[in-house]
Amino acid sequence: MTLTYVLMQNLRRNPLRSGLTAVAFALPMGVFVVAISLVVLLIQIGEIAEKELRLATRNKTSLTSMLPEGHRRKIEGLDPNRERLRAVCGMRWFGGRIPGEPNALTSLAADPDTFPIVYSDVGMTADDIAAWNAKRTAAVIGRGYADQYRWAVGDRLVLQSTVPPYLELEFHVVKIIENKERANVFYLRRDYLDESLLAAGEEAGRCNIFWTKCNSAAALRSLQAEIDENFANSPEETKSEDENAFGANFMQAGGDLPGLMRTMAFVVLYIVALVAGNTMVMSFRERTREIAVFKAIGFQSRRIFTIVLAESTLLALVGALCGVVPTAIGLTLFPMTQLRIGPLATIEVSPIAVVASLVIAVLVGLAAGLWPAYQALRLRTVDALRRIA
Amino acid sequence: MSNVEIELRDVHKVYYKNQIDIPVLVGLNLQVHEGQFVVLMGPSGSGKSTLLHLIGGLDTPTAGSIRVGDSFLESMNERELTSWRSRNVGFIFQMYHLVPVLTAAQNVELPLLLFKMSAAERRKRVETALNVVGLSDRMDHRPNQLSGGQEQRVAIARAIVTDPRLILADEPTGDLDAKTSEEILNLLNLLNREFGKTILMVTHDPRAASHGERTLHLDKGVLERDEPTPKRAVAAV
Repeated sequence: MTLTYVLMQNLRRNPLRSGLTAVAFALPMGVFVVAISLVVLLIQIGEIAEKELRLATRNKTSLTSMLPEGHRRKIEGLDPNRERLRAVCGMRWFGGRIPGEPNALTSLAADPDTFPIVYSDVGMTADDIAAWNAKRTAAVIGRGYADQYRWAVGDRLVLQSTVPPYLELEFHVVKIIENKERANVFYLRRDYLDESLLAAGEEAGRCNIFWTKCNSAAALRSLQAEIDENFANSPEETKSEDENAFGANFMQAGGDLPGLMRTMAFVVLYIVALVAGNTMVMSFRERTREIAVFKAIGFQSRRIFTIVLAESTLLALVGALCGVVPTAIGLTLFPMTQLRIGPLATIEVSPIAVVASLVIAVLVGLAAGLWPAYQALRLRTVDALRRIA
Repeated sequence: MSNVEIELRDVHKVYYKNQIDIPVLVGLNLQVHEGQFVVLMGPSGSGKSTLLHLIGGLDTPTAGSIRVGDSFLESMNERELTSWRSRNVGFIFQMYHLVPVLTAAQNVELPLLLFKMSAAERRKRVETALNVVGLSDRMDHRPNQLSGGQEQRVAIARAIVTDPRLILADEPTGDLDAKTSEEILNLLNLLNREFGKTILMVTHDPRAASHGERTLHLDKGVLERDEPTPKRAVAAV
């Protein structure tokens, strides 16, 4: 037998209390892991975005206000020698959904000639590009959607737009994107969309956003300013930002998600610390006499301090593991693609999140055990024995 | 005549509570020889338990000197006293105070964790101690699977497993029925006679007191009488 064994057995002293405390740790820690994994994912998306050197230009008023497709030529005209930019791709929101299903897919109509250049990270081969160019109805879809709806290259499918005039269009899958960051996206050809809009008597030739692929970070920064200057004081002023900033603002539009995650994480930690602290204080109070006997037998005060602190930490760690392990397994076996939340659906359990959760659990356990451990340290054996008698 | 194991010289103990001095022991002088079984009796508040705690190194005197073996307890700090206790004293309490989540054997093993000893050596000592108290067949039972008397036996085994020179028992039969009390007291007698342990026992029960060879009567912190126990004295003859 070792003191570690005694420590672990102490957790079994009141199984209901230990169990409830562990559950109180488990659930918040599980949420914490998801929250931190989300933050890690957002950082990873940001890092990729930085690497791709794409500049987003949208209507200064809002993303939903469109710009004329002529803006593309004007943007291209700022660098006729293609020293700073490689290509510009106009995109328009399609918002298609599978007929009969309620939710729209993240579906965007892209300029067919420049899409493979501006979105080179999609990984289109020469054959893919040929197929994309050959068919007006070509669609490039993410692996998430492909798995979810069991679509394969060559499949025919129909989507109905969720924006007026609610066009129902047919598509043919020519490429499945394997990148995790683009698991849940659907790209169609904008010329196909425009033809269909015109056929329906609707206005065509408008884009929600223009993506400019730049040759360098410096080129991106210079073009960012120039583009907006070029359209300043025009009926359709623009706002240009790098992909990272665009993504961050996009997330902010739906609420400050990273901020919400951080707040949630702190609230979680606060509650967990209170629960753990309460458990340890109750546990210590019940065992005052036992601690007195330990001291009488010959256990030094400092050792008892360590035992009480270790017990609290162990309880926290066990509870955290009860939350972290099932969450990690759950997210791995049941990815959040069903939630249809764009890039967030590709969230994976981050090792950083797991380690951070366990470290935080240990720290919370230490903090929660500090006061009872201090009381145990200071406990006068004689006084406690008198209380026993 | 055996050596003087315990010697108290002009020991005073005063507690300070709510700015009032409460004298608990007043000018106590006492000698206990090695291998004696001494009973401490007196009304509540007479200082019996305080005397036990002082001799056991759980508390320090306000004045005076306490020698146990070669150690002068009044000059030791808390750390030194704790270390001294682990090697020299075995405590037996009225309410046993076994750890409920450990088995009988594990409870007995607890004091041995303070020493550098192999698991095999610890196991051997635990088995010996439980054998002495007659509970070899209950080693793997938890306290809630034992009777009150059996729990106290385990507590006694825990007190003797380190082979201390001194056993201090504070009302060891206070929570037991008459028959079980007699068994426990006979066990203490065994430890005293067969193993030569010096035992100090606090009790209110005159029947329990008759198992000692000497009885000290305290009242209001003063040693009023120090006399051989008649029944035991006869048995000794």
